[in-house]
Amino acid sequence: MTLSKTTSRFLSIAGMILFIVFAFYYPRYVDKQNVWNLFFLICLQITIGQSWNILGGFAGQTSLGHAAFFGIGALVTRTLWLDGQPFAIAFALGGLVAVTFGMLIGAPTFRLRGAYFAIGTLGVAEVLRITVSQKIPYISTMSGALIASYDLSARYHLALGLAIVTTGVAYLLLRSPWSLGIQAVREDEEAAQATGVHVLRHKLLALALSSFFTGLAGGVFAYQQISYYPSAPFSPIWTFDALLITFIGGQGTLIGPVIGAIFFVYVRDKLSVNLVDIHQVIFGVLFILIVLVFPGGLVEAWERLKKSLLNTKYTKVAKD
Amino acid sequence: MRIETFLQTLVFGLFTGGIYGVAAMGLALVFGVLKMLNIAHGELVMLGGYVSFWVFSAFGIDPFASLVIVIPALFIVGLALDRTVYRHIVRLLGEEKIKNSMLVSFGLTLVLQNLAQWLFTADERSIQVAYAGDGFNIYGVLLPYTRLATLGIALAAILALNYFLHKTYPGKAILATAEDFESAELAGINIHRVYMMTFALGASLAAIAGTFVTVTYGLSPSIGIIWTLKALIVIVLAGTGSILGAFPAGILLGVVEALSGTFIDPSYHEVVGLVIFILVLIVRPQGLFTRK
Amino acid sequence: MTKFLDVQNINAAYGDIQTLWDVSLQVNEGEIVALIGPNGAGKTTLMRLIAGLHRPLSGSVQLADVPLNTFPAYEIVEKGVVLVPEGRRLFGGMTVLENLELGAYSSRARDVRFKTLERVFELFPILAERQKQNANTMSGGQQQMLAIGRAMMGLPKLLMLDEPSLGLAPLIVENIFEIIKLMNDQGVTIFLVEQNARKALELADRAYILEQGRVVGTGTGRELLHNDEVRQAYLGFAPAAGK
Repeated sequence: MTLSKTTSRFLSIAGMILFIVFAFYYPRYVDKQNVWNLFFLICLQITIGQSWNILGGFAGQTSLGHAAFFGIGALVTRTLWLDGQPFAIAFALGGLVAVTFGMLIGAPTFRLRGAYFAIGTLGVAEVLRITVSQKIPYISTMSGALIASYDLSARYHLALGLAIVTTGVAYLLLRSPWSLGIQAVREDEEAAQATGVHVLRHKLLALALSSFFTGLAGGVFAYQQISYYPSAPFSPIWTFDALLITFIGGQGTLIGPVIGAIFFVYVRDKLSVNLVDIHQVIFGVLFILIVLVFPGGLVEAWERLKKSLLNTKYTKVAKD
Repeated sequence: MRIETFLQTLVFGLFTGGIYGVAAMGLALVFGVLKMLNIAHGELVMLGGYVSFWVFSAFGIDPFASLVIVIPALFIVGLALDRTVYRHIVRLLGEEKIKNSMLVSFGLTLVLQNLAQWLFTADERSIQVAYAGDGFNIYGVLLPYTRLATLGIALAAILALNYFLHKTYPGKAILATAEDFESAELAGINIHRVYMMTFALGASLAAIAGTFVTVTYGLSPSIGIIWTLKALIVIVLAGTGSILGAFPAGILLGVVEALSGTFIDPSYHEVVGLVIFILVLIVRPQGLFTRK
Repeated sequence: MTKFLDVQNINAAYGDIQTLWDVSLQVNEGEIVALIGPNGAGKTTLMRLIAGLHRPLSGSVQLADVPLNTFPAYEIVEKGVVLVPEGRRLFGGMTVLENLELGAYSSRARDVRFKTLERVFELFPILAERQKQNANTMSGGQQQMLAIGRAMMGLPKLLMLDEPSLGLAPLIVENIFEIIKLMNDQGVTIFLVEQNARKALELADRAYILEQGRVVGTGTGRELLHNDEVRQAYLGFAPAAGK
């Protein structure tokens, strides 16, 4: 059975709309605290994963310091919002400060290749985390008024909206004239340079989008969490989760972070109840297997399966 | 500023630096020879620490003496990791190899860290030897026995490694492989065995560092990343091609951290190392101890 | 003469680009065989393939009926095939002596390495003089001698040389070729790739011509030296009048 290109595209779009409608209404319908939280977390992770994917998957720049952007977004948003600013402004500024920071460190660190860039960004993120934990060691809590007016569904819808927008931006990026240049940088930087691609500019573009949306995700986190230590969003765990999600799902693909986030959050939720952190071991092994054997992650696995079952010509949006 | 405070700080910087140096040398060895970046190195340090802790709490063996057990134990772990995971990466080339080894070892950190947590729980452990507080007191400067033993053994380890690499036939084969692995193969050197042995050797050095960590600081399953970062800072300072330069670079880091902790701000001594790390990466990526 | 090195229908590629097409050649025991051809013809690829640094797409390489191409390079050295790679590729940071010692790392050569070392020093007295010097402080010609000396330490039954004259002054090239002849006299089979076609053909018993990854001609050294096409293409002769 072979589907024509238009039919399969129609199905993809239909599937997406169905998925979004489901995501919007299901938690509301069930209205259980843990479901709201689960879905919220999935949307947050989709955003962070997709953002990381733009820099790491599309542009091939493996960053180990993404927690810096998440943390900055959270810090700025929380500080301004608790200080009395309207949330929308605090939220937007969180993202903007994150981008600014990204651009500041992007220019010098992009001179580093591959692994050096990775550990360099890790170093930067750790500097921020330690500085914040030293300078602002006390817990950040919401005022009584804010707790009283706390609306979980609003938080969730913000997270969902952000996840959709981030994925949409990634999609548009792939369709844009920069897409080829960015992927050329990923494949072979020197060759790209030789064919006239302005390597730094493409890297900075990917970084700008990546840091902006990760910063906004931080803002969402700051909005949702009632109380937390300001250094918590700077923890490298956030970066590592983004890596796990993107790789397990399928790095460099559009749908990879989405699938990865759902898989990751769901499995972790299910297994945390039974065995202490065994899910981390599973993710670790899965990650290793993916790097060694299945670089395309779940997306690749799914496509191979589909090919053998349906014999469909599936057009992958990203890698072609 | 009293001269005693300065000397005490300097001395403690030396002691700490010795641990940094040993920890970093294992990573430098793996990076220099296999050209792979093992970010699970800190986990190997942690595992080494746990073996020494277990040997101490189960049999009462002094941690420094237990190195006789700890080193072979982690040597075997290193062999196993190379055989199962890293040998698939080692045949890649250049940047792809470094990037993939980094990713794979990231997965490994999750596995090892949580395995340790399952085996030993997340509680912090440490080894308190009978002579823990004792030491020499020279002109008001305290020199604890445990710290002296740490530095002494660290020095012995690096001297032994230096001798092995430069004066023995298998050691020279390792250096030759590091310099040009194809020529090494053409000379009849079994580079796969070299890779395996070198990785195991790196794990052994991590084990030594781990024992020191357990005695000096304390141990928990999550300390892996801290020590990986420390080792990374040191090898970047030394220059990633330099294997033996990692030791003096470690000492340097220890001293700089200690001095900045005492005379600038105690809460920022962690940051100092990281900032220097980032600056060296950007300004002089070939490190401080290599000539280019 | 017994067939020693037997290369049959080798196809090889570099990534997606095929570099060798159906290459077959033989080297008999005790011979000196040369491989000549233009730059980029695939000569080095073939050498590296025989030595085990590269895997063929199809075809076989055998040494006295023992298949080679399934073994890693260090085991091929064990079987007696040693390559002196293009550009010398010495261990620059190590001394002359250390370089030579490492050449005998394989188990076959290791036990007798001190005796072999004496022979190498006899053949290359300059290496004995400079044995404590670092390899990268020596001149090009000395480095080439060291490279050959290192290969000798591996007790080769078949010695392969990739462009031994590259970048060397004519007098030194003479010297090197004399030594190669001497080694052959002492029983080492030689297979060499050379840009300097004249010298190669003068030295060799037989030769093959490789162009664009294919063997396009073969013959004895003398035959090819006097062949018009070879003379025009590789020996710098102008086409004869009226042709």
